[in-house]
Amino acid sequence: MKINVNKRDPVYVQVMRYFKEQIATGQLAPGEEIASRREIANQLKINPNTAQRAYKEMEELGLIFTEGNMPSRITMDETILTDVRKELVLEAVTEFIHSIQSIDVSLEEAVELVKENYNRKRAD
Amino acid sequence: MLEVKDLKKKFGRKQVLKGVSFTAKKGEITCLIGINGVGKTTILNAIMRLTAINGGQILLNGESITKKSYEKITFIPDAITVMPHMKISEAMQFMDDFYDCWNEKRATELLDFFKLNANDRVSSLSKGNTAKVNLLLGLAMDVDYVLMDEPFSGIDMFSREKIAEVFTTHLIEDRGVIITTHEISDIEHLIDHVVLLDNGRVLKEFATEEVREQEGKSVVDVMREVYQA
Amino acid sequence: MSNYLKLVNFELSRFMKLYVVMICFTIIMQITGVIVKSKSYMGLANEEMYKNMMSKTEFINQHGEFSFYWLTQSIWFMGPIALCGAALLFYMFLIWYRDWLGKNTFIYRLLMIPTARMNVYLAKATTIFLMVIGMVALQLALFPVEAVVMQWMVPVDFRLDLNILQTIFSLNFAAVLFPLTPTEFFLWYGAGAMSILVIFTAILFERSFRWKGILIGVVYIALSVGLLMLPVLIDEFFMYGYLYPIELVGITIVMGLLVTGMSLFTSHYLLNKKVTV
Repeated sequence: MKINVNKRDPVYVQVMRYFKEQIATGQLAPGEEIASRREIANQLKINPNTAQRAYKEMEELGLIFTEGNMPSRITMDETILTDVRKELVLEAVTEFIHSIQSIDVSLEEAVELVKENYNRKRAD
Repeated sequence: MLEVKDLKKKFGRKQVLKGVSFTAKKGEITCLIGINGVGKTTILNAIMRLTAINGGQILLNGESITKKSYEKITFIPDAITVMPHMKISEAMQFMDDFYDCWNEKRATELLDFFKLNANDRVSSLSKGNTAKVNLLLGLAMDVDYVLMDEPFSGIDMFSREKIAEVFTTHLIEDRGVIITTHEISDIEHLIDHVVLLDNGRVLKEFATEEVREQEGKSVVDVMREVYQA
Repeated sequence: MSNYLKLVNFELSRFMKLYVVMICFTIIMQITGVIVKSKSYMGLANEEMYKNMMSKTEFINQHGEFSFYWLTQSIWFMGPIALCGAALLFYMFLIWYRDWLGKNTFIYRLLMIPTARMNVYLAKATTIFLMVIGMVALQLALFPVEAVVMQWMVPVDFRLDLNILQTIFSLNFAAVLFPLTPTEFFLWYGAGAMSILVIFTAILFERSFRWKGILIGVVYIALSVGLLMLPVLIDEFFMYGYLYPIELVGITIVMGLLVTGMSLFTSHYLLNKKVTV
């Protein structure tokens, strides 16, 4: 478990993204306990303050919640969970569009190629 | 909070520090970066009252540094601070004898973390392991601030990785750390606060996450801008 | 245990190995000296009495009886004393410089101990002082042992047994190393302690200002010596021996205290404000 830290994006944002991906792919289930700030800092090889900041932001966004002295858990709020997934998909799509636009590929051609390659890629 | 205000230092006729000011907060890792060697070590020495200064002020939580401050702030220089013929365990005993803030439990934990053998003599250690002993002695103290001078310089890659790992653990958590370096690749994503120095002055002081968030720049990007301007 | 005592203990243990070597060296040299000197004396006696038909009394009249005097004038006895003296003098510098120079920069640690820096300084001074006292005590303890060895080697008719006091008197520098009255003890050892502090101050000047500091240090030592000599010089050249010796001693003691105080004060200032690792 490690993230490849990108040097130009805030580290705490990258940590949040890591959690969002885990949630979206179901690796972290709704209501599941997550590692403590200290553990996650150690696992992801980041500064504990940064982990703290990421958890705080996630808590504010409602991605995780903490009751008393218990470990934090993933939210069980369906809307938030769906939003996370939507956000990631939208982000990927935006990036995709950006890439194909920059090399002047039409939507039809792109969609055709996506269809052609999507299943092959998955089969790999 | 550790404040360095308008610090000036001359070596003979050469003005090495021409009024350096910056602040390091508890719970943050502050990195003093300078391309050229001069000045960084002198700043740390001056903070610890290990060299005379020609002007300026150093305040720890609003008070000047006294002998009592050595229980609150410690310095890990880029040199051996124990006698080489000592065993690591003897060096630890020495620390225990003189410092109230020495935390034996944490010291043992650090021995384990760095995979050091307490019965080894300091003089018999590799450069990397010597650096680890230095860190062990500094970090096993329950101090609020830790100053580190070039902890990554001149040692092997795996030791550097292990030392960088310290910054991701509770061994550093909640403390204020000031670290000097001329090469930041080992710790770029770990530091909170950067002070860029050149020619005896502070050229820029910034928070790393802020620069990434607001300007989309890495620390190295900012360094390039500042030093090559 | 106070930090000062801990530091003294620490400094003593750092030098202990070498010190034990010095002690062993002194013992071996001096005892060997007794044996060698006794043998050569008895050899001489045999030669004179059997070859040259000299009578015992004639031999003793001509060459004297064997006593400590024969030993104390020899390299066997003076050698180790001079060497230990030189070693201790050298160690006065080494006790500071070893912490600064070379790979081991222990001075960082010493200056960052949460205690008054003067404790580090005084611990070093105390260590030197105790080492000197230790060597003197060793010498005093060695005299009776050497006397016994001498008794084994030389028959009673050829011997002049001296007691410790007489032995001490047979040494040129005895009055300083082995003072016989408490007053003398305090005077000589007080002067010794003062010298350590003056030299330490000079060392700290060098450590604070480097090249310029060497010059200041030398001037400081000269100034200290000058202050001590001042009463004697003034009395000699301006008052033409007006003062009684006891008055002169009194004033010199006051000057000595002044120099000691000045050294402590200056060292305190340098250690806290000027010294550089």
